[in-house]
Order: sequence, then C-alpha cells, then structure tokens
Amino acid sequence: MNGSTSKRETYAGFLMVSPWFMGFAVLTVYPFLASLYWSFCRYDLLSSPKWVGFANYRRLGSELLAGETLALAIGNTAYFALLSVSFSVIMGVLLAVMLSVEVRGRAVFRTLCYLPSVVPIVAAAVLWIALLDPQQGLVNGLLVKLGLPAQGWFHSTSSALWPPSWPEDHAGRILGSKDGLVLMGVWSVGNLLVIYLAAIVDIPPQLYEAAELDGANRLRQFWHVTLPMLSPVVFFNVVIGLIHSVQAFTQIYLVSDGQGDPAGATLTLSLYLFLTAFKELDMGYASALAWLLFLVVLLITIWLFRISQRWVHHQGAA
Amino acid sequence: MNKRYPVWWTFFTLLLVSSLMAAPLVWLVLTSLKTPEQLASEPYSWWPRPFRWQNYADAVNSIPFLRYLANTLLLCAGNVLGTLFSCSMVAYAFARLRWPGRDTLFAVLIATMLLPWQATMVPRFLIIRELGLYDTLGALIVPKFLGEAFYIFLLRQFFLTVPQSLIDAARLDGCSELGILFRVMLPLCRPALLTVGLLEFVATWNDYGGPLLYLNDPERFPLAYGLEQFISSHSSELNLLLAAAVLFTLPIVLLFAVLQRAFLSGMATTGLKG
Repeated sequence: MNGSTSKRETYAGFLMVSPWFMGFAVLTVYPFLASLYWSFCRYDLLSSPKWVGFANYRRLGSELLAGETLALAIGNTAYFALLSVSFSVIMGVLLAVMLSVEVRGRAVFRTLCYLPSVVPIVAAAVLWIALLDPQQGLVNGLLVKLGLPAQGWFHSTSSALWPPSWPEDHAGRILGSKDGLVLMGVWSVGNLLVIYLAAIVDIPPQLYEAAELDGANRLRQFWHVTLPMLSPVVFFNVVIGLIHSVQAFTQIYLVSDGQGDPAGATLTLSLYLFLTAFKELDMGYASALAWLLFLVVLLITIWLFRISQRWVHHQGAA
Repeated sequence: MNKRYPVWWTFFTLLLVSSLMAAPLVWLVLTSLKTPEQLASEPYSWWPRPFRWQNYADAVNSIPFLRYLANTLLLCAGNVLGTLFSCSMVAYAFARLRWPGRDTLFAVLIATMLLPWQATMVPRFLIIRELGLYDTLGALIVPKFLGEAFYIFLLRQFFLTVPQSLIDAARLDGCSELGILFRVMLPLCRPALLTVGLLEFVATWNDYGGPLLYLNDPERFPLAYGLEQFISSHSSELNLLLAAAVLFTLPIVLLFAVLQRAFLSGMATTGLKG
C-alpha cells in the first residue's frame, strides 16, 4: 500500500463512519454529560435548570435509607432481574439439552418452544393479563383444578420467594405481580434456546464418547461435559440477561397500568425513572436516577466478569 | 434398553413442556373467536361455539386499525432503510478501511452497547424536541440514520469475510469506496443485510417505548401503541381485545416462518433442521 491509498482510506473512513460518530456525539455523549449536569440541578422543562448541588443525590440517599420509593424500586428490580435470569437460564439449558436429543417430532417441539418468543411484547402482555386474571384467567382455573390455591398475579403485591411480602392469612396465595412478569419472561425463552442449541451442537462428540468409556451415565455426562462446555455461552447470556432485565420497561409498564400497580409492586428502577421524568417532570432527580441505573449496570457487568474466571470453562487451543 | 429410557423420558417431557408453551397461543386464537355470551357462560370450554369471525371485523373497525397499520409500515420502511444505509456504511469503515483511531473508536462503539437507554433518555428527548421532531414519526426514524452499535458490529463481522482481492480489484478499476460498498460488499453480504433488516423491522413493529415517549397525536400512533389504547377503552370485551392481539402478532409470526432460515443463519448454521 502506498501513501496515497492510505490517505484515501483515511478520508473515506472518516466520511463513512461520520453518521455513527455524529449520532454518538449528539445522542450519546452529550446526553450522558447533560444528565450528569442536570442531576445537580432542579429542572422541570419549563424554566432553565437551576444548580442545587447534591440535593438530588441527598434525596436519593435518604429514600434509599428510609426504605421509601427508591428502595422499593431497587428491591423490585433485583427480584425481577434475578428470578427472570435464573429461570430463563435453567429452563433454556434444560430445554435445549432435551431438544438436542433425537426424538420423534423434534422439529415440532422446537417450533412450539420457539414460537412464544416472537410474539410482540404488547400482544404478550395483553395475552398474559387475560391468562393471569385472578377470577376468569386460565392459569388460576388450571391451578384450582389441580387442587392448588388460586393466585393473585397482577393484582397482588405478594412475591413468592420473598416471604415478608406474603399476606397474613395467605393460605398458599403467594404468587404476585412480579412472579407474573417472571412467568411471562420464561414463556419467551425461545431466543435463548436457539443460542444454547447451537452451542450444544458445537460440542465435539468425542467428549461424550470418552465420558461413556469412563462409565459416565447421561446425568454425569450432562454435568461434566455439557455444562462446562456451555458455560461461556451461559455466562454471556447471564450478563446480557441481567443488563436487559434491569432495563426492562415495556412489559412492566403495560401490566402495571403505567404506574407500578398494584401499590408499587411492579415499580422498578426504570419505571420509577420514567415516571419521575415524564409524569413528575422532575428532570433533575430523574437524571440522578439515570446515573444510578447506569452505575448499577456497570457494577453488575464488572462483578460478573470478575467471578466468571471461577466457573466459566475456557477451551484451550483446539 | 439403557439408551432408550432417557429418549422416551425426554419425549414425554418435551411433549408436556411444548404443550404448555403453545397453550397460551392456542387459547389466544380460540378465545378471539368466541361470542361474548360463550365467554360469560359456565362451564368453561376451549372450543368456540359458534366461531364468531365478526370479532376480527369489529376489532378492526373499533380502532383506526388501518391508520395505525399505515403508520407502523411507514416507520418500518424508514427505520429499515435508515438502519441498512447507515450501519453498512459505518461497518465498512470499521471492517475494511484503515484510518487513525479506528480500533479505539470501535472499542467505544462496543462499550455503548452496555449503556442503558434510560441513562440518556431525558436529554435525548429534549434534543429531539429541540429539533422540532416531537410528535412526528421523524422522532423515531431520524436517529436510525445514525447507525446502531449492535447492527454495525454484526455487519462488520460479515464484511470481514469478503476476500481482500475483490476490494483491491475494484480499487484498481477506479471504484470509489462507496462504490465498493454498494457494488462489491453489499451484493456479497445479502444474507447479513436480510438479517439486520428483519431484526430492525420486527423491533420497529414491536416498539412501544418510542411512541410512548415521542408521539402524542393519535393520528400518528403505530399499531403497538394504538393496540394499547384499545386495551384501555375495551378492557371488558376480551374477544375483541384478543382478536386485535392476533392481528398484530400474525404478520410477525408469518415473517419468521417464511424467513426463518435467513434469520437463524446468523446465529446458528447447523443443527436446526430438526
């Protein structure tokens, strides 16, 4: 390559990357810095931002310490994110392993398991609000038929895995709105299935043959071959899944009447941020919340990469 | 014997799980065809008696369905066009051109994928408003012409696989870099363009947050947002509500059915033939 060619490449490169760079500067960098500045201001969109120092962050801290709205939102976010990701990963891996076995009708099973994940989120929300209706819903009908207690779902503030949220005389009615959201998420696990299936197919068959020679049964093969070989993909999906569920918005907005109903049980950090900005018009506090959300996502990512060394199996040069 | 047992166990587990996964969709379609009388009557039965196809006509007529559909299609066209144009150009610059700062900027591009959209939501909203785009479809379309990190990354991976000799030959023939992109790269990377176009189409079709934030005039609502307006006004007529949901879902399911191979090819090339 001579000098003129690389000059030509430089010009062309700058020119062709410019749309993204403009968008990056105007729609990412500037907003990022502006929201940092506004998080130190009182700003209601009607008058210009007024510097108030750390007032927004003090409010953030006091809400958190006093167990007020923000603490509730963080608790809801953590519950939803942890449960969604764990159930999706467990369901995803187990289903993918079963779907990789050559059984009769495998193509049909794959299609049926994948199908829910292409249903648009608005339609899925309409569907699940109807299915989980406490009185007329199909799911409660099924539970009652099986002799189990009907659940409150999107009308209940209870959380199945958080006993303090259970009502006094619950009699087994412990599944609430967040559990409904988790169920909706698990139903659309199909996207993950595609990824896990591809990863399972890539596992060299020699590993299973060697394990069989060593006398390992199917369960041990799953534990000692499939899982370690899948761990990088699982890790990737845990990172992406956590980041996505911390930011999840649409389905939560839709099942909660756009305000975290019932009684704030579905008020997550992202919904709280949205309502603060566009219902309260408190852009200053919303910006502080946005920065909190950003730091939460950043810390989750760093933490996951730290612990990944311990349990992700990296293949040597193959 | 030892080998057959797990296969049968797997078969029945899959049968159960698949039925549970499919049941909500079967229920959705069947319930959308029931009469209001049947919905109110006991005991419960799955099968519509009689089939009331009129529900679909009623659902379409009780909201400006065609208006919303037109808005959605306009958005999809604009967004797919904008995304393909900007992302392929930027991806080419990152994949096949050497210029100072390229690798640093690419690392920055990857990092932006981790940034939560809420972190920049408020100032973004104000910029769009300042540009006079609030309450226009442009608020949703214009940013798409500025590229999106994930698609740029995806296309770059594809562009890297095109042999350098083709690019060199085009350059010797006096082809400009834009010419190389449009005459050499894009024709060779059609499957990748199809994947990106499809992903963006579906994302636009499904998008609810964008219209919620930027649109105010019902004349401009896309289907995803209009459907929700329908929910709040018709929450008692379950059959119509679900008919609208079916109409909204069907095109996407069909799109995936037809383009499944193209769509999945980017993610997994083997093992999906069943």
